Amino acid sequence: MAVHIASDALSISAPTTRLNTGKSSFEVEDLTVAYNSRPALWDVDLRVPEGVLMAIVGPNGAGKSTLIKAALGLIPRAAGEARFFGKSYEQARQLVGYVPQRGSVDWDFPTTVLDVVMMGRYGRLGWLRRPTKRDRDAALAALEQVGLSAFAKRQISQLSGGQQQRTFLARALVQEAQLYFMDEPFAAVDAVTERAIVTLLQTLRANNKTVIVVHHDLQTVPEYFDWVTLLNVEIIATGPVSETFTDENLHRTYGGRVGALTAAPEAAGA
Amino acid sequence: MQGIETIIVQLLVSVFSPEQINAFLGDPRTVAVIVGSMVAASGALLGTFLLLRRMSLTTDAISHTILLGIVASFLFMVFVLGVEPDLSSPLLVIGAALAGVATVLLTEAIQRSGLVKADAALGLAFPLLFSIGVLLIARFTSNIHLDADSVMVGEIGLAWTNANSYCLERCDPVVITPDDPRAETSRICTNCERDAISPRSSQAVFETACANCGTYSAAEAWRLRLIPEAPVLVYFPRAIGVMSVITLINLLFVGLFYKELKLSTFDQGLARSLGFRPGWLHYGLMILVSIAAVGAFDAVGSILVVAFFVIPAAAAYLLTDRLAPMLALAILIGVVGAYSGYDLARGTLFGIIQISDVLVLLDRVIGLGGQTTWDSSISASMVLTTFMLFVLAWVFSPRYGLIANFARRRWQRQEFAHQVLLAHLYNHGDQPEERAEASLHEHFRWSRERMRWVLSGVRAQQWVAVEGGLVTLTERGAHEVLDFRKTNLQVQ
Repeated sequence: MAVHIASDALSISAPTTRLNTGKSSFEVEDLTVAYNSRPALWDVDLRVPEGVLMAIVGPNGAGKSTLIKAALGLIPRAAGEARFFGKSYEQARQLVGYVPQRGSVDWDFPTTVLDVVMMGRYGRLGWLRRPTKRDRDAALAALEQVGLSAFAKRQISQLSGGQQQRTFLARALVQEAQLYFMDEPFAAVDAVTERAIVTLLQTLRANNKTVIVVHHDLQTVPEYFDWVTLLNVEIIATGPVSETFTDENLHRTYGGRVGALTAAPEAAGA
Repeated sequence: MQGIETIIVQLLVSVFSPEQINAFLGDPRTVAVIVGSMVAASGALLGTFLLLRRMSLTTDAISHTILLGIVASFLFMVFVLGVEPDLSSPLLVIGAALAGVATVLLTEAIQRSGLVKADAALGLAFPLLFSIGVLLIARFTSNIHLDADSVMVGEIGLAWTNANSYCLERCDPVVITPDDPRAETSRICTNCERDAISPRSSQAVFETACANCGTYSAAEAWRLRLIPEAPVLVYFPRAIGVMSVITLINLLFVGLFYKELKLSTFDQGLARSLGFRPGWLHYGLMILVSIAAVGAFDAVGSILVVAFFVIPAAAAYLLTDRLAPMLALAILIGVVGAYSGYDLARGTLFGIIQISDVLVLLDRVIGLGGQTTWDSSISASMVLTTFMLFVLAWVFSPRYGLIANFARRRWQRQEFAHQVLLAHLYNHGDQPEERAEASLHEHFRWSRERMRWVLSGVRAQQWVAVEGGLVTLTERGAHEVLDFRKTNLQVQ
């Protein structure tokens, strides 16, 4: 519980740093998720201000993906609620974009890259309405943005892992959301894709979007993100990277296992 | 269902003469092919989505458990509604749809317990429901027509015999009253037996009984020769009516919800987070599978119907990498399979091979005891020809066929061997002993033939030059090595 209080203290201090709005884009209250009897998330309270790029980091099994999925209602919650711009997910659906882990779908599915990106528009279309030329143009523009224009007509099984990831990002872009959740977009991607994602994140922040990214590479946190949440079933700490991403907090998140990794972020953050 | 059938008949009548229609729909081949094609088309439409959802075998389960649905609705009609059970009642379809959904729900419930794997859960759920169906049949309904043959392979060859008649001309019903000249009347003594008197006795009391009085439809009246001239009738096989409705429903479902089905099949998580209801579509699909299975049950039996769901979709999957063409190809393959299947049952394979010729040949070679005629199960033949089409796709598909795969792998192996050789020459450019043509194969532990083959390949590309027994990398070859390193051995 001491940890809990610490995280509150940090989120209260948040508006004084970079953001002056003080409005939160994403808020979680008392969220608990259990797989059978083992808690995957334990009494999580989280408040993310608008317009930040936030990494969620923590060891394997810390509940990083679970936090996103439970917030979006993709897996059942044992307790608690999530609010998006002060609304429930059902009300805020149009404002929220989600990029799942790319292993979550079958890439042998008979469809094209362009078609997958267009799926991001389906939410706006609703039931029965067919995509129009405008949706197509939006999809093509998003592919351009992630550097996949040449692949629009390709079958998706012909893509490399990084290209698959960028396809998913393009699909989220066409949702034209205010708040994006990305589940491990940097996992096992090539350097080109990593740069493309970073550029995309910068562009999104420049447009005052909020992006929440499940991230596994501690070294790059200070470089790519301005906000961070350290999670290990419970929230260990959350806030601006410069204040939160400390040696001490990392030790509390990862236990003794973090070792050499902590040296780099400290150096980079300093 | 009757309504759709009436519309189809009216359309037919407006274009063709009744004689033409009856000749067409009275032909066993035509009717079997039409019914088979519609079963195949429905199966292909739904089967494509099931295949992509890795649920192909669910059709096997559902095609069995609809038996429980059919029996349960029978019992419902008899014991609750108190009416005569009727095999064409819509209640049967509802019962089957419920049984199909129950199968899926039960399977999912068993699976969700986490104690039983998915395939075993399916194997637990459907025999349970099927056996309850069998028990109910055995206990309550001794007179339902459900023999092994009709369950296993259906009766598509006889589909033309079970027809509804539609009257076009001279359709007035015929009423026979006792004073009608056509009435078959007889005088019956009402008290002879009781009083033990002779009908000739003056005390005998007589009553006129009519054996055939009543109202007859024109068709019935003509059959009993009560009217001198035949009414103009059109016969429409029931199976065509039923399958038309089912095919239409499937086309509508897939046509209307194409976008939603595609999304929720590809990425259920996104479908849910965008506010669609993948669960509804899932159970909608299962209901349609159940209904299609009920309709096909009569025609091709509950076991072979599985083939119509799985084979065309599996073949189409190998031939295209777009969803809409996959649906169209699956339908085409199913229909062609049904069409040529009838001919196979009657002895011709794809209009090319006469089975009797093959049998004569076999008779001469191994001796079949003179059994050289061929006339076999139509539905099984339809499955067989559809399967042959699958084999064609499997072997010859330009991108995903066995031959294409084999060629690609061979090509990749050769490509790779080239790169191994080039890399070796690149790394040992300054060591002539590593580049001697005669001993080069020893470095790779390759046979001399393989070495020759690889060397001739890279020479053809002008990647190496051979001079004085030494193999040397050309400038082009050095470029190739660096390109390969850059794309495949990138160090981040």
